[in-house]
Amino acid sequence: MNVQFKKGVLELCVLVLTAKRDRYGYELVASISEKFHIAEGTVYPLLRRLTLEGFFETYLTESQEGPPRKYYRLTEQGRRYMNDLVLEWRIFNRGVNEMIEEGLGYDKT
Amino acid sequence: MTRREFMDELGALLGDLPDKERLDILADYTEHFLIGIKQGKSEHEIAESLGSPKTIARELLAGYRIDQAQSNASVSNMSRAILATISLGFFNLLFVLGPFFGLIGVLIACYAVSFSLLVAPFGILMEYGYPEPSQERLLLLFGSLVSVGLGGMLTVGLLRFTKWIYSMFLKYLQFNVQMIRGK
Repeated sequence: MNVQFKKGVLELCVLVLTAKRDRYGYELVASISEKFHIAEGTVYPLLRRLTLEGFFETYLTESQEGPPRKYYRLTEQGRRYMNDLVLEWRIFNRGVNEMIEEGLGYDKT
Repeated sequence: MTRREFMDELGALLGDLPDKERLDILADYTEHFLIGIKQGKSEHEIAESLGSPKTIARELLAGYRIDQAQSNASVSNMSRAILATISLGFFNLLFVLGPFFGLIGVLIACYAVSFSLLVAPFGILMEYGYPEPSQERLLLLFGSLVSVGLGGMLTVGLLRFTKWIYSMFLKYLQFNVQMIRGK
């Protein structure tokens, strides 16, 4: 898949995954790679950039097993950005689907 | 690749970043490894799915360079940002380097012309020594003066032109950096 396209989609994924509750990096990576193949290492630079741009806040939490975890919390600004992206995605997705239907679907005549 | 190897390679590749930032990034990956190991994965498996440290470092460096270029728009920061982005495969090298080398070439040629205009008369004077006055000699002297004058004016103009080119090129790079950020 085109690099830039995939990047945009990944961005959308991490944003919606944190919409309902805060998540830590490993969790985000695991949830995404459950659905489709990614180079897992590239999620962290993305999280970093989104944090720098003010869409995430991070905090560390000690955990019972394993190391302290860095949690990502969606900010208000992040939520607005996410909503914009979701809307864009829906429009895009519908358009592509319609073209696929038209291109590959059976004639209705 | 073991965790150690992965972290060492990534750390080395991020050598250009400020310490604080580099350590922060490395901590993210250490956390990732530790949680993965807790969940029963091997270091090799985890490193494998993370992908190559080179790819990760390229991404991080490009992000860093672009930030630098946006906060301080010098030609060197800009070029670094662009080069880092090119290494991500976003961007055709020709877009940036083509115009750049073209301009540099033109500038060098112009400077060469004005330099030779400035220097030529001295060559002529050297050749003839202190000539006895005659029509021909006067003509040569006059020609020399014209040549020096032209060379001088051309040089002054060129210096201005160079400054202008610099600022235009900066704008061009800025425009590219903004495109990369998608804004």
